[in-house]
Amino acid sequence: MEVAAAAVRRSLGQGRPLRCGLGLRGRWPVPAGGVSLRRCSTRGSLEGVNRPVIDRIIRVDHAGEYGANRIYAGQMAVLGRSSVGPVIQQMWNQEKDHLKKFDELMVAYRVRPTVLLPFWNVAGFVLGAGSALLGKKGAMACTVAVEESISDHYNSQIRTLVEEGPEKYKELLQVIKQFRDDEREHHDIGLEHDAEAAPAYSVLKTAIQLGCKAAIFLSERI
Amino acid sequence: MAAAAAAAAAGGLRRAGWRLWRGRAVVQCQLSPPQRALQVSAVLRRVSDEQKEPFVSSSQQQFDSHPTDHQPEQEPQGPRPSYTGQGGQESEDYESEEQLQHRILTAALEFVPEHGWTAEAIAEGAKTLGLSVAAAGMFHSDGSELILHFVSQCNTKLSELLEQEQKLVQLGEAEKKPTDQFLRDAVQARLRMLIPYIDKWPQALSILLLPHNIPSSLNLLTSMIDDIWHYAGDQSTDFNWYTRRAVLTGVYNTTELVMMQDSSPDFEDTWRFLENRVADAMNMGNTANQVQSTGEAVFQGLMGAAVTVSNAGTSRAVRAELFLFLSMLNVSVLFLPNLEDSVKKELSFIT
Repeated sequence: MEVAAAAVRRSLGQGRPLRCGLGLRGRWPVPAGGVSLRRCSTRGSLEGVNRPVIDRIIRVDHAGEYGANRIYAGQMAVLGRSSVGPVIQQMWNQEKDHLKKFDELMVAYRVRPTVLLPFWNVAGFVLGAGSALLGKKGAMACTVAVEESISDHYNSQIRTLVEEGPEKYKELLQVIKQFRDDEREHHDIGLEHDAEAAPAYSVLKTAIQLGCKAAIFLSERI
Repeated sequence: MAAAAAAAAAGGLRRAGWRLWRGRAVVQCQLSPPQRALQVSAVLRRVSDEQKEPFVSSSQQQFDSHPTDHQPEQEPQGPRPSYTGQGGQESEDYESEEQLQHRILTAALEFVPEHGWTAEAIAEGAKTLGLSVAAAGMFHSDGSELILHFVSQCNTKLSELLEQEQKLVQLGEAEKKPTDQFLRDAVQARLRMLIPYIDKWPQALSILLLPHNIPSSLNLLTSMIDDIWHYAGDQSTDFNWYTRRAVLTGVYNTTELVMMQDSSPDFEDTWRFLENRVADAMNMGNTANQVQSTGEAVFQGLMGAAVTVSNAGTSRAVRAELFLFLSMLNVSVLFLPNLEDSVKKELSFIT
């Protein structure tokens, strides 16, 4: 209820300052299996861009960073005052930066966010808090599992974009590469902090990675 | 060599005839519109008075270049790329099928007030372009494509209008409008485009709701609403994105329906209705705010009551009664402002 009220409350506030309009999108009725045709485009960043692919990439990445944010929030809620608190806080701050960057990209490319955001909000927090309740090593194991999933996912996106044309997507590629490196770093930090010594490490890791795959699949489409 | 060409030509003509016959089965709609249109329009051009020779030869090469085409006809194909790149032999004013359809539908629009959204209007439109009335056979018999074309055109016009306004604001030549006024103006501008066709629009709406049209019409509606919010400055990246668009879609649809049965001069009633709905939409945010803070206040009040009661140190029955009393007091206090308002209203006829 709180989430819904907050959503409605903020939804109709004053319009924020306008950014540059990015392209007109009058669409011809979409034929079966067809591509929506642009009547007129006016801005360079949307010219010649493979809209469906970019849509998916930005939507799922945004959802991923949002979820990662919530996971770290959950972990901090439980382990904030422990010895690994500062480490988790630092990783959380980096995720916040990532999310901000994807917010900007989302507005720039006019991508819609996934409907499941409220769900990832809760699920992420629960996962973070739950893994933290298993102890510091449990939290680190969760971090390792999630960050490994995310790095693999970013790698496959980089491959896709490079296949499409590295020149067209230079900025996006740069961003994703940078973020992939950050996530790898988080993964290594997790390992450094004895993630592998966590209770039922392999089971936990497999379960979390399965969940991540499902989340990625759903967020790309819905 | 010549024999082979002749055989290919004959084969092409036979296939053309077969495809034409298939193309008549509009209801089945197995061929994708551009593909079907290609065949039918090729025949139409032969029938019409203009430029018989080049078209016959151009249609020939098209058949030759797709010898295996009749195989995949069963599967719906996506829109083909324009056929203007075929060996440099096409005539100079050859246009793609889509462009031709575009022109016919645009020309047909002026006949809509008279004939409605029907094949007759399309036929009339084709006549003004010098094509045969059989051109209407390129399209669905229920006029769906004409309506969708019109809606798409209106959306494009709206986008251009909003883009222009935005440019003016960026150049500092115009004031930036507050959100509610922006939405009101955008929706009004879009609905005003319906005015020339308002008598036949209810028919169009019902056709747009046919199952086979719903994907396209929904697509057009959502992209229009998205455009309006984009130019209104919406930069939400959370669930608000959906809330705002859903609300505006509701406002637009209800205003459109009101407009259908509005008989006031220049649709004043409709614009007043629109103003009220947009104001409601803006208020929704405030109301949600109030509900949440009320909920929090009630919760805190009850917690306070519980603490008081637990410190009271009396018997269980008395404690329960005390708790009940305090919670009722707490809740009734919330309704005091409303009470004040309603009492004032009752007494207003005295003062």
